[in-house]
Order: sequence, then C-alpha cells, then structure tokens
Amino acid sequence: MASTVNSLRLCLRTTRKLQCLRVAQLQPPRCRRTLSTTPIRWADKDNAEDEVDEEQIKPYNDLGEALRDFQRDRSLTEEDRKGAARDLRAWEALTLAERDAITTRIKSIKAATAPLKRPATKKKNSFWNEEEHDTDLITNEVGEDDFEEDDIVSLAHGKLEEHREHREYARLAVWEMPLLSKFAKKFEPPTEDEVLRFRYTSYMGEFHPADRKVVVEFCPTDLKTLTEAQQLKLKKLAGSRYNPEKDIVRMSCERYEHQAQNKRYLGDLVDKMMVMAKDPTDMFEDIPLDTRHHTFKRKPKFPVEWRMSEERRAELEAQRKKAFLLDESKRMNGTLIDGVRSIQEAVLTLPDPIASLQAAAPRKRARSTR
Amino acid sequence: MSVPTTLRCLVRPSVPRHVPRQVAVVWAAPFSTTASLAANPPKKKASAQMASIRSGKKMQLGKFKKKAPGGRTGKSPLPGERKAVRKRIQLSNSNALPVPGLAELTSEYMADKVNAGTVVSLPGTVQDELRVIEAFKPTQYWGMFRNPSMLVRSETVDLIGRMQDSAEKKQTLKLVVSGDRLTGKSMLLLQGMAHGLLNEWIVINIPEAQELTTASTEYAPIPGTDPVQYMQNNYALKLVQAVRKANEKTLTRLTTAYSHPELPQNIPINSTLMQLANSAKEADSAWYVFHALWQELMAKGQGRPPILLTLDGLQHIMKVSDYRSAAYNPIHSHDLALVRLFTDCLAGNHQFPGGGAVLAATSRGNAPRVPSMELALSQRAAEQAGAEIPKHDPFFRDYDTRVEASLKKVQVLKVSGVSKLEARAVMEYWAASGVLRKTVDEATVTEKWTLGGHGVLGEMERASLLTMRP
Repeated sequence: MASTVNSLRLCLRTTRKLQCLRVAQLQPPRCRRTLSTTPIRWADKDNAEDEVDEEQIKPYNDLGEALRDFQRDRSLTEEDRKGAARDLRAWEALTLAERDAITTRIKSIKAATAPLKRPATKKKNSFWNEEEHDTDLITNEVGEDDFEEDDIVSLAHGKLEEHREHREYARLAVWEMPLLSKFAKKFEPPTEDEVLRFRYTSYMGEFHPADRKVVVEFCPTDLKTLTEAQQLKLKKLAGSRYNPEKDIVRMSCERYEHQAQNKRYLGDLVDKMMVMAKDPTDMFEDIPLDTRHHTFKRKPKFPVEWRMSEERRAELEAQRKKAFLLDESKRMNGTLIDGVRSIQEAVLTLPDPIASLQAAAPRKRARSTR
Repeated sequence: MSVPTTLRCLVRPSVPRHVPRQVAVVWAAPFSTTASLAANPPKKKASAQMASIRSGKKMQLGKFKKKAPGGRTGKSPLPGERKAVRKRIQLSNSNALPVPGLAELTSEYMADKVNAGTVVSLPGTVQDELRVIEAFKPTQYWGMFRNPSMLVRSETVDLIGRMQDSAEKKQTLKLVVSGDRLTGKSMLLLQGMAHGLLNEWIVINIPEAQELTTASTEYAPIPGTDPVQYMQNNYALKLVQAVRKANEKTLTRLTTAYSHPELPQNIPINSTLMQLANSAKEADSAWYVFHALWQELMAKGQGRPPILLTLDGLQHIMKVSDYRSAAYNPIHSHDLALVRLFTDCLAGNHQFPGGGAVLAATSRGNAPRVPSMELALSQRAAEQAGAEIPKHDPFFRDYDTRVEASLKKVQVLKVSGVSKLEARAVMEYWAASGVLRKTVDEATVTEKWTLGGHGVLGEMERASLLTMRP
C-alpha cells in the first residue's frame, strides 16, 4: 500500500511546475516612471534570451515516462533521483493492468483538480467584487434585517428590557436590601477633639476625575488649643477659605491620585496652619480680617413687631376712633376743609367777569378811535 | 348588456352634451392694419398707484425715526433761554385761592414748639431777600399757590432752636442736614435762612455747591498762597452782590474795622460794610472784596451780628473738583478758596464773633457718591445717638482724610417723613388753596401719607398735586 501512496505522490509531482501559477504571478508594472520626456524604447533583441520562455511541458503518458524524465533531470537532487530510480523499478515490476489503473486514477484526479488550478482572473465588469464570496463573514447577512412580521418592534424590546430592569431592582429591594440593615451603625456625634469634618465623593465604583477630591471643614473657634488671637490669625491665614458668616474654614485637595493621599495632605496642612498660628513672631495685628471674598446675604423676614396681635388690634382701633373723633369735631366746628367747596365759595365771591369785560371794552374802543 | 344600461342608452342622448360650440368671431373688418382694442382697457393709474405705495416703503434701519418734514417750525430758542425757563422760579399764582387765617412768619415763630405742625406764609421782604440769595429751588412747588408758605415741622423747630442757642452763646453751630430724597432738606435750609433774615443775621448762601466744583465758573490761582488756592471771581461777584442785597439793612449798620489795601477802591476804616460790598463791581476784584467782607465780619469786638452760612449739595464740595491746576493735576475742592472757607467753618476753624451757624444740606437727586462723607456723617449720627460707631472699611482705598477732617465736629440732623399731624396741616393748606380737590379728613391724609412713603413731603406732593402741575 505504501508503494501506492508513494507512486501517487510521484504522480502529483509531475504537475509540480505549473504554468498557470506562473501566469498568475503578480506582473511588475512595466512603466516605472509616471512621467518621462524620453520616448519609450522597445526591449533589445539580444536581451530577449533573459526572458523566461514559456516552458514546453509535454504531457506524460504514464508514470514510468515521468520517472525516467526525473532521472535525467539535473536540477533535482541526488536523493530525489535515487528515489525516482527506486520508484521506476517498482513501476516496471507492475503488470500492465495495474499500470493502466494507476494512470486512469491519475487522470481522474487531474480532471477533478483542474478547476482549482485555474488561474484566479479578475472579472472585468465587477463593482467592488461584490459577487465575490466574503469568507470573513460569519453569516450570510443577506436579508437579515428585514422584518418578517414575526417579532415585536425594537421599541417594545426596549420597553421589555426596562421592565426587566425594574423587576430586577424590585427583587433587590425586597430580598437583598433588608440584609443591609445588618451593617447599620449607630450615629455617634463627633467629640470635642474631632474638629475636622471630611467630605469624600464616591461615584459608586465608577472612575471619575473628582472621586479623589477631599474637602475638610472646621470651625476655628473649636480649636481649643489656640487662644483667641491665634484663632484670629488662623482665620487670616485661611484667607478666602474662611466663611465669616458661618465661621467655618473650608479647604479641599485633589492634587494627589488617591483620596487617602489628599486627606493626609489636608490634615498636615491644618496642622501646619495651627503651628503657624501659634507662632508669636508676627500675629498679623496690623492686617484686618479680610471678608471681601464673601457676600453677606440678607434674608428679609417679616418683622415680629408687625405681627397682628390683640394689643396691636386694640391700638389700631383706638387710633381709628381718635381719627374719627377728630374728623367729627372738625366737621362740627366747620373747620373741616374741603377742596371742592373752597373753590365753589371762591367762585361766588369773584367779581362778575362779563361786567368787568364790559367795563374795559369802551375804553379800548375809545383808544382805537383816537 | 344589462337591462339598466340598455335603458340608459335610451334616456341619454348618444351625443355627449359638452361639445364645444363653434363661436363665430365676428370682426369689424375682415382685414385691418390697426391693432385691435380691448373693450375695457386696464386702468393704468391704479397700477401706478400700487407701484408708488410700494416704492414709498423703506426699510427702517436706525432705531430712531426720522421726523416727518413739516414738524416744528419757527425759531429755536436762543442760547440760555431754555435754561432760563427751566430755572424760572415762580413764587405766586393768582389762580390759586388765598388761604384765610394763615399766620405770617415772624422772627420768633419757628423757634416756638407750639407752632410745629402749622403752615406759615413768608412775608414779602423775606421773600425778596430769599429770592436774591437763591434760597428757592425750581423743583419746589411754589408756583401753585397764591403766596409762598411753608410747613413748620418738628425738625424746623429743632434746627431753629439750635441756631438760637448758638447765637445766644456766641457759638457756631455746625450742622449737616441729611436725609432721603425729597424729604425737605433744602426746605429746612430755607427756613433757617428765613429765620436768620428775620433776626438780622448776616446770611450767606451758596445755593448749588456744584456750581463751584464742576468747572463751570472761572478760576484763577491766588498769588502768594502755598499750597496754591484758587479764587472764583465771577462766582464771588455774584455771591457778594447777593449778600449785599439780602443783608442790606444789617450791612449799612456795620462799619469796617480794618483798612483793605489790596482792594482797588479805597475803603477807609469806619465806613459801612455796605460800601465795602458795593466796591465789588467787577469780577477782577470780587474775590478780594468778598475776602475783605469776610474778614470784617470775623472782626472781634465790633458787635458783629450772628452769621448764617449755608450750602446745598454738600457732596459736590467733598470730592476732587473738575478743575485742573497749571500742571494739569486735578484740584481738590478744598483748594478752592471759597469752598475752603466753608469747609473751615464747618470744621470749626473759624469762630464767628457774634455766633451763628454753618448749615449744609446733602443732596440725593444729583450728587456724586462720597464714601468719606457718608462714613463721617454716619459716624457723627451714631455718636449723637449713642450707637455703635461705624468703622472704615480697611480694604477701601478711596477715603479722603481732608473730607473726614472737615466733618469731625458737625452735628447731623436727619430729615425723614413728616408726622400725620403735620401732613394734615399741609394738606389742609393745599385744599384751602383749591389745589387739592378733596375733603381733608383722616382717611385722605393717611392715604397720601402712605403713598408718600410714610410722609416724605415731596412724594406726598407728587401723589396729590402732580395732576395739577402745569
């Protein structure tokens, strides 16, 4: 059997040099330069020998012929030729019928593999090689997005997804969140010594550039180790970080990569500020506390004195009564002054305007006649 | 074919109905060389009109419309004419009714506490004198009434009391009248002046401080002063003449104590101050005349009467003026000699021999903000009230030490709204004059008093008289 396989191998080797493959080789572009001022010259006839001639491969009639040819072929290695001689001996040992069977089999294999050996030529009128089969695709993708009236629309899918999410959280709320109460701690108000209040920011495990930020707040008057003058100096040192309305210093840090680093920095800074505040060399007495950075907000409130009370009501009643009595007494006296009436009275006392005009008229006429 | 179709075939004519009829066009002539005319030719006029309407519309690019031609014709007013109309002061109106039973102002009237809350009319002589020293303002409502009258309010009694006190003690009252807008600060000054004139004080009034510092009057350096002071001759001339006219009676009574060689006219000792004042005939020597007059008034042991020095619009003299020195540096208002004289008096540097008062009123309508003055006045007010004294803002740099020094010793008289009783008195006066056509009872008074921002007199006048304003 081994001999058969070997012979088959040798048979296939006959087709080793394939003309078609040579044709399919990428032809280098003839024109190297895109632009030239010299005319294109034809190749010389002397150099034509360099060109590889189309090898004339004569078809072998049977395997023996091919093996004999191999033995003559000097381009093959010694070992190959020895192998060929061995194979030839085996071939010659075969009967005629066996030789015919092998030859027909070889021919059938050749016929079957012929389309594979055919050179891959580019189609002329192809648009982006559309009809070519794409081996990268998993599915065919043709007509995949067409709606076949057998499904709900994507919006509805989204709605369903939403419902699933709600139900998931509802399950969490019912089953798992009660378990959190096991971790609950009792609130303990900070003691006198715990002056600093730190604030951290968490984005629930997500990365955020602000999650490293730490803010510290403290009231300078809570620092019992400082005297009043030192506390004032501390406020002056804090500058615009001091809120005079709430009496609180607030500082933040996001300089370092981790929260802990930032917190450490702030803690150190407060310590440093306290050391500086205690330093008696310069107590900043000549500098007033600067509050220009802060706008004091005034929230107008309804004054307490304006609230209506029984006393106030009685007082108002008394005022109205007094006013009424004043008006009445004036009315009785006739000293209540009415603007309209005073005009009417004045009109009655005025001299008759027509009479005065008539009195003036003859004089004018006399003047004009003169 | 079905039966109905066949029947229909019978009913309907087989020929379609709407066959276009052949209309024979009858031409007048079968052949013509002239163009045919339509029966009703389109009116060309209408189309032309449309075109003109369309072309008349223009895009308005500017914010302000151009005035249509043929608007105001005639001569435009001459230079200064508009200002004269604007500044015109009308003190009486014969259309208004005379108010019966109105008291006339006497020398002691306003000092009496009983008279607080009454309306009093100004006598004719005082009217003239006040008009000369420009005590009346064009914004006040004098022109609506028959005779100029004014309300004596509690602040007036207070002010006049202080003035009398200082005159009796031969001291100088230094007082700044401050308060909100339209509360009657200038009116209080006027009342002080009226009192001074009636009591034969020498009254010198600077009616608008801004006239001195807004670079609207001429100025010149006074030779021989260091640091340089500046005189304002034109203004001094006006001021001397006003002082002369208003205080004629008193000035004729007084005689000079010094000789004044710097004056162009020789004024011998023991000539009357009237003669001295009369020598100011030209602007060139006006400042020197005023200065000499001031020196004479300051002369001790000559039986000088009390002096009343008043100024309205104090903010204007408490800042750097709009004048420039020869080196083009801004001149501080206190380097102007006339302003310096006033601020020195306000600071208490001059002791009036016969006592008297220096009154200044702040202005709220047209006045610059002077933080130093505001602070100083609030400090003085707090001192007088015994409250906590406001401090300097340590980070504000525009404080003026000269201003603060000049306001170290002043008293502050805060003027606010009038009480309802006073409001009633003044409204009764309006109604009796026929200007307010309403019954003045407690309801009306309260209404106007409230509308006027709790008795701010100017606002009450607006609320009740403005409809009648010419």
